Amino acid sequence: MKKILINLILIVIAFTIQNCVFPLIPFFSASPNLLLILTFSFGFMGGQRAGMLYGVLAGILLDLFYSGPFGFYTLFYVYVGYVNGICTKYYYEEYITLPLVLSIFNELAYNMYIYVFRFLIRGRLNLFYYLRELVIPETIFTVVTTLFIYRLLLYINRRLTEFESRRDTTIV
Amino acid sequence: MESKQNRYILIGLTVFCILLIGVTAINDQWLAPLRTGVGYVLIPIQSGVNRVGISIYQELSDYGQLKTALEENRRLQSEIDRLIEENNRLTAEQYELQRLRELYDLDQEYMQYEKTAARVIANDSGDWFQVFRVDKGSADGIQVGSNVLAGGGLAGIVTDVGAHYATVRSIIDDSSRVSAMAVQSGETCFVAGDLTLYKDGRLRITNIKKGGDVKEGDRIVTSNISSRFLPGILVGYAVDVSIDSNQLTSSGYLIPAARFNNLQEVLIITDVKETEDLTGE
Repeated sequence: MKKILINLILIVIAFTIQNCVFPLIPFFSASPNLLLILTFSFGFMGGQRAGMLYGVLAGILLDLFYSGPFGFYTLFYVYVGYVNGICTKYYYEEYITLPLVLSIFNELAYNMYIYVFRFLIRGRLNLFYYLRELVIPETIFTVVTTLFIYRLLLYINRRLTEFESRRDTTIV
Repeated sequence: MESKQNRYILIGLTVFCILLIGVTAINDQWLAPLRTGVGYVLIPIQSGVNRVGISIYQELSDYGQLKTALEENRRLQSEIDRLIEENNRLTAEQYELQRLRELYDLDQEYMQYEKTAARVIANDSGDWFQVFRVDKGSADGIQVGSNVLAGGGLAGIVTDVGAHYATVRSIIDDSSRVSAMAVQSGETCFVAGDLTLYKDGRLRITNIKKGGDVKEGDRIVTSNISSRFLPGILVGYAVDVSIDSNQLTSSGYLIPAARFNNLQEVLIITDVKETEDLTGE
C-alpha cells in the first residue's frame, strides 16, 4: 500500500517536472520522457499487474492534461506496463543492460504510436525528418536518463522492501 | 493462472480505452468536471514548480543579461524618441481617420476586444505537439475558442478549459489551421502549422488564389470569414510566395509576429467569435 502511494507520488512529480521544468531549460532541444521510464521500470520490477496499474495512472494524467480523445495515452501506457512486465522474469538487481534495451524499444514504440495515429493519418509522410529531428534525440536523452532514474528506483524499492520486512519481524 | 488473469485485465482495459477514445472523439464535454476536479489538485503544484523554476532560471540569466541590457537601454532610448515623434504624427492621423470614419459611417473597429493576461505554467514535454497550459480558466471568463495573443501577434486558441486553467494549442502546432487574409489586398488564405518548418521559425501559407496579390513582407491578419478567430489580429508576415504545381493556387511561408520560444505571459481575449448565433437568427 505504502509502495503504491510512493510510486504514485513519483509519477505525479515526474509529470510535473516533465511539463513545467524541462521546457524552461533552453539548451534542451529534446527532453527525456520520465513518465515512460517510470512506467516501464515499475512493470519490469513489479510484474505485469503493477505495470498495468501504473500505466493507467500515468496515461490518465497525460490524457487529462491534453485535450483530444481521452484514452489515447492510457491505452499505450497500459501496453508498456504489460509488455515490460513479461520481462520481469529476467529481472534481478544490478542488471542494467536489459532495462536500457527496453528503454530504447519503448521510446521508439511510443514515438511511432504518436506518429502513426496523430500525423500519418493526416497525410504527413515525411517520416525520416521526424525520426532525425524528434525521435532519435528524444530516445538518446531518455536512455541516458534511464541510467540514473532506474538506479534511483532500485534504491527506493530496496529500502521499501527492507522497511516492510523489518516491520513484519517486529510485529511477530 | 495469474498471467491468464493479467491477459483478461489487459483486454478489459484495452476495450475500455478504445471505447473512451471513440466516445470522446465525438463529444468530450462530459469529461470537463473530471478535468476540473483533477485540475484543483494539479494546477497549484504545476504553478508552484513553474514559479520556482522560473525564478531560479531568471536569477541565473539576469547576471548574464545585465551587460546587454545596458547596451539595449541606450538603443531603446533613441527608439523612444523616434516613437514619440511617430506617435504625435499618428495621433493627428487618428483624428483624421475618426472624422473620415464618421463620414463613411464605418463602425467596424479592429482589436477592441476584452483581454485578460495569463501566465504559462506548463508546456507539452515532447516535441510532437505545441500545446501549453495557462493559469486562468473559466472563472476568469475564458471559454473554449478564446483567441490567445503573445508579443503583439496571434499565438493560439483555447482548446480545453477548466475552472482555473486553460489548454492552448499554438498556431505552430502541426494540426493548427487559421483562416487569414493579407491586409493590403484582402486576399484570403490559410496559415497552417507544420512541424517540419517549426525549427526554421516558419509557418505555411496555403490556398492563395492564383493571381492573388500577396507579396513578400505583406502583413497577414486573421480574416473576417474565420469561424473561430476574431478578425484583424496580426498573425505574421508573408515570405517566399510562389505558384503551386497545380497552377491554381499559390502558397508561401509566414514568419509569425508572436515569439514562441520561452513564452511566459500571454493575453487571452475573452470575447469569442460566435458564428452559430448568426446562422441561428
